[in-house]
Amino acid sequence: MVFLTLPCWIRSRGPDRYWKVQELLKNARHFRGRKNRCYKLAVRTVCRAFVYATKARKVKRRSMRTLWISRIAAASREHGLKYPALIHNLVKSSVQLNRRILSDLAITEPRTFQALATLARARQQEGLRAALGDGTEPTAPEQPNPRTLLQLQQNQDLQPEMY
Amino acid sequence: MMAARLVLRTLQQQTRCAVPFFAQFQRAKSTAIPSSYIPQTSLSRPPWPELPVLDREEEQKQHRAVVQKVNALIENGEYGRLFAVVHFASRQWKVTNEDLILIENHIEAQCGDRIIMEKVLLVGGEDFTLIGKPLVSCDLVRVEATVIEKTESWPMVHMRFRKRHRFQRKRIIVQPQTVLRINSIEVSPGLI
Repeated sequence: MVFLTLPCWIRSRGPDRYWKVQELLKNARHFRGRKNRCYKLAVRTVCRAFVYATKARKVKRRSMRTLWISRIAAASREHGLKYPALIHNLVKSSVQLNRRILSDLAITEPRTFQALATLARARQQEGLRAALGDGTEPTAPEQPNPRTLLQLQQNQDLQPEMY
Repeated sequence: MMAARLVLRTLQQQTRCAVPFFAQFQRAKSTAIPSSYIPQTSLSRPPWPELPVLDREEEQKQHRAVVQKVNALIENGEYGRLFAVVHFASRQWKVTNEDLILIENHIEAQCGDRIIMEKVLLVGGEDFTLIGKPLVSCDLVRVEATVIEKTESWPMVHMRFRKRHRFQRKRIIVQPQTVLRINSIEVSPGLI
C-alpha cells in the first residue's frame, strides 16, 4: 500500500455502526444492570434471550396442554368422574371436542360441562352393562386335541390346492 | 359397669370390627343380627360397581320429553345469547356473536367477504346444549362471519446458538394473520 498524500490515510469505515448497535440495544432496554447499556454485555444476553424465547414457544404448547388436562380433571371430579373416564367415554360417543375447548367450557359454561359429564357417565355404564352381559358364568372354550390337529394338517396336505 | 368396660375396650383396641355394634354384647331383648346381613369382605360383592337398573322404555320416554322441550324453546325463541364451538383453520374456537377471532394463517377470502362456518361441534344457550356427534348438521345451525383484516404478525426472532462452537443463526419469522368477526349464530327447530 502506497499512500502519497495525507487525505488517503483516512479510512472510510462503515457509516452505520451507531444504528446497528442501537438496533441490538433496543432488545436489551428492559434488562437489569449494565447489560441494558453496554454493547459487549448486551450482545451475549440478547442472544440468550432470543434462544430462550425460541425454545419456550415449543414448550408453551406442552405446558398449556397439561394445564388444560388438570383443569378438566378437576371439573370432572366435581361431577363424580375421573379425567380418563371422561375423555375415553366422550371419544367413544364420537364427541370430538379438544382439551382447550373442554377446559373453557368447564370454566365459562358449567351447565354444558355437566351435560357432557352425564353423557360420558351414561356411555360408561352402557359399556359396563355390555361387558357384564347376562350375569352368567363364562364357559371355558374347548381345548384342541393335538391328535385331531395332526389329522387336520395331514388332510390339508393331501388335498390339492384350488386356485 | 358395662359402660366403663366398653370405654376401656374402645380405648385399648382401635381395631375396625366387621361385626356391628349391637352384636358385641348379647342381650335377652330383640336386637339380633338380621338374616340378610352379609359382612363386608373383599369377596362379599363383585369388584365392579353396582349399576342402576335400566328401563329402556322409560329412558326413551325421558329422551323424547327432553327433545320436545328443547324444540319448543327453540321454536318460541326463548333463548338469549348462543355460543358455538366451531372447527376452523384446524383449530377449535368457542365463539359467540360480535366475537373477534385472530387466525395465524392466510385465508382465501378478501376483506369484507361473508363466510359461513359449517363444521359446528356444539351449540349452546342458557337452558339447552346441542352436542354434535361429531358435528351438528347444517340444517340446525348457521354461523356467519366476516373477514375484517389481513395483516402480518410482529417479527418473531428464531435464534439458534451452540456454545463453544461459534455457531449462531438468526432468522426473522413473520406470520400472515386474518381477523374474523362472528356476525350471528342461528338455530332452527328441526330436532327429532
